Amino acid sequence: MDKDTYAVALRNTLTEVRNICPDITCSFIFTKEGIVIAGDEQSVDVPVEKTVGFFQGLMDKATTIGGLNTMIVNGSKGKVHISSVNDMYLVIAASKNADMSHIRSIANVIIPTVLKLLKTVVPTPPKMAPSQQLIVESISGFFVGDAVQVDEEVLRRWSKDFKGKSVGEVEVEAFGGKVIRCKVKVISDSQSKGKGLIRVPEKVARELEVKQGELIRIKPVEP
Amino acid sequence: MPEKSRSYEMVESLRLGLDRIKSDEGIIGYILRDAKSASIDIRDPSKIIDYAVLSSAALESGENVSEVFGLGEVYSVVVEGKDVKVLLIPVGNSRVSVFMRRDVDHERVCKELHLK
Repeated sequence: MDKDTYAVALRNTLTEVRNICPDITCSFIFTKEGIVIAGDEQSVDVPVEKTVGFFQGLMDKATTIGGLNTMIVNGSKGKVHISSVNDMYLVIAASKNADMSHIRSIANVIIPTVLKLLKTVVPTPPKMAPSQQLIVESISGFFVGDAVQVDEEVLRRWSKDFKGKSVGEVEVEAFGGKVIRCKVKVISDSQSKGKGLIRVPEKVARELEVKQGELIRIKPVEP
Repeated sequence: MPEKSRSYEMVESLRLGLDRIKSDEGIIGYILRDAKSASIDIRDPSKIIDYAVLSSAALESGENVSEVFGLGEVYSVVVEGKDVKVLLIPVGNSRVSVFMRRDVDHERVCKELHLK
């Protein structure tokens, strides 16, 4: 996931957390290197870099207690909870009456889960099924079946596009707009091979309303 | 009661409280200091300097964070590490730092010191 998408997802998460927990006045996340990754809408009003600086200054001194996992500042008007989440730090500022168990749940359960999800969820680009145009050659006969036939080369290319999986079905689209899904196999007649043809059983051709010599578009169905 | 006398009583009460809790399960020790003196009772003496430095830095960070976020007067600061945590509380002109294992309930410690 690219950094922008990651930051937007985190910002939305922090904003939603704030919406369901109105005691939170502001929250943001920064890395150990001091880079602010994301903050909710209220964090723009807070000098977050200053906070990061104060916290970083404490990190070195905290090696004596096994590093800096959490810091809680409890004041007369509010509280701030800073906690280590994976390789980052989450800062939550809340009102003085905020329930610390809620804040701990957010810091220790909700945000780490979201971060884990964001790391594992990698958007899969939609597979662009390579369609192509072929010339119709109508076929008929008792053993023709209902599968369209294309060159072996076309099937091999599709298989390569789908990481070696064989394509068994295709979507055939006539220029008139009719689309049908049917089985596909290699052209059996050696005379028709390598000519950019698609051999279409008569029955299928009728359904598509196409005739011999017309162009149709064919697209593999992902196996 | 004059402010100075009240502060003295608070610190004395705190000192008694610290003496009472120092042998509790999970308590590692404490540092109580004011501008002129310090009482230190830490189980591992080799850690005293590191703990004192951490206490000072943590309270200073806490005060700075409080200023940035408008938290008002700092009641307490808790800093947790992997194994140990420290509870820092300003009491009048004094500051107390109680070191404990991470699994100890610091809010209970606060109550036992009559600080909450």
